[in-house]
Amino acid sequence: MTGEITNVVVEVLPRFEGYVYPNEASLHPLWGFLIVLYPYITGLVAGAFIMASLVRVFKVKALEPVYRLSLLTSFSFLLCATLPLLFHLGHPERCFEIMMTPHLTSPMAIFGFVYAWYLMAVLLLELWFDYRHDLVQWAKVTPGFQGIIYRAFTVGVTDESPPAVALDMKMGRILSVVGIPSAFLLHGYVGFIFGSIKANPWWGNGLMPIIFILSAIVSGIALCVFNYMVLTWIRRHTVDMRCLDTMAMFLFYALVVDAAVEGLDWLHRGYAAEEGFSVMQIMIREKLFYTLNLGQVTIGTLLPLLLLGPLQLLRRRVPELVRRRMIFSSAVMVLIGVLAMRWNVVIGGQLFSKSLRGVMGYKLEFTGVEGWLMGVVLLSLPFIILTVLVKLFLSERLPSGGHTPRDSAAGEG
Amino acid sequence: MKTQFSRRGALSRLGGAIAGLLTLSAARTVKAAVQKVFVSSGAPKDYDPTKHKWLMCIDVNRCIGCGLCVEACKKENGVPEGPYFRTWIERYVITKPEPGSGQTRGETQVDSPNGGMHGFPELSLPKDKIEHSFFVPKLCNLCEHSPCVQVCPVGATFDAPDGAVLIDPKYCIGCGFCIQACPYGCRFLSPVTKTAEKCTLCYHRITRGLKPACVEICPTQARIFGDLKNPVSDDPVQKFYENNRVQVLKPHLGTEPRVLYAGLDKEVR
Amino acid sequence: MRRFKLPPQILRLVLLTLAIVGSYLIARIFLTPASFGEFGWYRGEALVELRSRTPVYAGKQACDECHSDELRKLARFEHQTLSCEACHGVSRDHADNPDVLPVKLTGSHCIRCHEANPSRPKWFKQIVVKDHYSGKCTECHVPHQPSQTP
Repeated sequence: MTGEITNVVVEVLPRFEGYVYPNEASLHPLWGFLIVLYPYITGLVAGAFIMASLVRVFKVKALEPVYRLSLLTSFSFLLCATLPLLFHLGHPERCFEIMMTPHLTSPMAIFGFVYAWYLMAVLLLELWFDYRHDLVQWAKVTPGFQGIIYRAFTVGVTDESPPAVALDMKMGRILSVVGIPSAFLLHGYVGFIFGSIKANPWWGNGLMPIIFILSAIVSGIALCVFNYMVLTWIRRHTVDMRCLDTMAMFLFYALVVDAAVEGLDWLHRGYAAEEGFSVMQIMIREKLFYTLNLGQVTIGTLLPLLLLGPLQLLRRRVPELVRRRMIFSSAVMVLIGVLAMRWNVVIGGQLFSKSLRGVMGYKLEFTGVEGWLMGVVLLSLPFIILTVLVKLFLSERLPSGGHTPRDSAAGEG
Repeated sequence: MKTQFSRRGALSRLGGAIAGLLTLSAARTVKAAVQKVFVSSGAPKDYDPTKHKWLMCIDVNRCIGCGLCVEACKKENGVPEGPYFRTWIERYVITKPEPGSGQTRGETQVDSPNGGMHGFPELSLPKDKIEHSFFVPKLCNLCEHSPCVQVCPVGATFDAPDGAVLIDPKYCIGCGFCIQACPYGCRFLSPVTKTAEKCTLCYHRITRGLKPACVEICPTQARIFGDLKNPVSDDPVQKFYENNRVQVLKPHLGTEPRVLYAGLDKEVR
Repeated sequence: MRRFKLPPQILRLVLLTLAIVGSYLIARIFLTPASFGEFGWYRGEALVELRSRTPVYAGKQACDECHSDELRKLARFEHQTLSCEACHGVSRDHADNPDVLPVKLTGSHCIRCHEANPSRPKWFKQIVVKDHYSGKCTECHVPHQPSQTP
């Protein structure tokens, strides 16, 4: 009888530690590197906008030099924000469905509208009101294609009278106020996408949207510091230290609040030690060891706090050059740390089984849609766009007039 | 400044636009109403989803882990080869505690080799070390408050009126949100269609009066299937829920799963 | 009386907004599928499409049309809960055209269920195959009436 047993071909599936549901037994998680990038990019958008709103809403005069640069940064990153999502969808050609039949119980359904609202009603409008007067003047003096661009952006409204300019300023201020909750919504809904998933104990809690927004603000400020210093260096100007010190101060305090709330999340998890806690501990220890302890905590939080903290007390004692180096390196470290945080949240949630008995892995490929290379391309693209925008709208050769005071990043000569 | 804006001109343009919009949407509503009344949706209307309420129940005490159901499901629904399962079997092996340890149980080992499709390999553990061992078939839990339906951004997955939770493969954009939201791991992204896929209760069979493939093939009646709105004489589902004290998976999540299990153990997730 | 004059910026922006919102609403009319919303927030047509797939397994009642004698015999003994296709495989082709024969059976079919396994429930008849017998199962058992001898 044993001779009658025919050979059964059994598919060899990847093995994992412990038990994972058969549908989870794949080599890479469903939401991969592209979905790590999306919250990172929208976080930078929201954070850079908050930086700009500090000038208009909270009237922090010291930050005036980076106002326009922050808005342009926010804009260039916003233009690239949909790309990771489009590349990730199984059917990107059906993406319009999300705006045609948005399912109102789904946080993801809000994406199309929030994105459109933030792009058009907040960012573009605020940029327009701030730039309109300059655009009218630049259109007059700039020949060729560039001049056409300026004229096109005025949308035909070329009234330069003081009441019109005053209205521009008033509208800009209103939009900055409207923009703050809009920025929170743009990035907060992403946090809620994760926070709403009760099936996943790594994601599903009420602190998730708040943590996302706070780390977004931190990353946005850091990005503005980075861009400002790089731009000033390229143009061989001197950095406005008052502006830089103020940015560093806001970065420090935002980082303190962010670290505190993230720490609270950790504290609660460890204290309550709910059902999934043991498998999450294994996952952290084995799969997220470097991205968490090295990337997010040490590089992303502790070192910047150690560098920026003393500067708040000892600013006068520290020479300018040293201060610039400390602030710049803190900004770079924060940017790395927030990317690590997005990785830990998105990938970490998919590296343990919903059976709470097993742990999976993720080997990041180099090529392919969800690979390293694509990530580098998608992160470089906003900088390329920003370069074009800076050349057009923060040009040193064109006079920056109207109600915007002298922008030292644009320079006057 | 080139042209003077006349308020009248602008307002009349505005009015024209609004009127156009209203006309178009009115025309559209009329067209839809006419379609509903006169045009059939293309298929025989002999199945009314509102007149049925399907349910599957699992008797864990009867499952022998042969895996015929997993195989039948893959064949019936054309499920792709690989880690993609609309239904699967889990084997639980609970060992005896160490003598003198003061525990009631030793370790729990769970496995599901290839979903249990070709049966289960022999246990390396000797029989006398095993306290309990059993098989648990898993499938879509047909939740009353499906988290998967809640999170779909476009309305591609839905609760059908007859109790099945289905996916519209022509509408799904493949975002994967539903797969993340399902606590029971019963959904996957098909590598072929790039849309989400899951157990459909063999919708194409049950609407023709047949049974789902897994129920059809199960040799020991561990899977019990029926129509709660049209019970037959000696209805197996009715007998199941009347004679058994039943459990559901992950009740603390509030999904209100409708699939009832008899004979579960505290180790089953 | 002072004539209220809308500032040019606001006017242009309002017109632009209406144009954008208007084109969105128009697009929505054309791009939403016709049967959407029939039963809920989904395409009603999907229910029809999902149930129009051709079944693969024929089902026990299909076998009953021609093999009712066998089924009557089967119903009296322990294998009454089995569907024919559990052992005989997908038999739709055979049900459509009886000249197409279903799969030939071997002992592996018996072993798959009846090999002794500590995870199997105690009420289920199991044997340790290598200790039980080394020949063919059918020498002592009739598949459709398992407790009978041939």
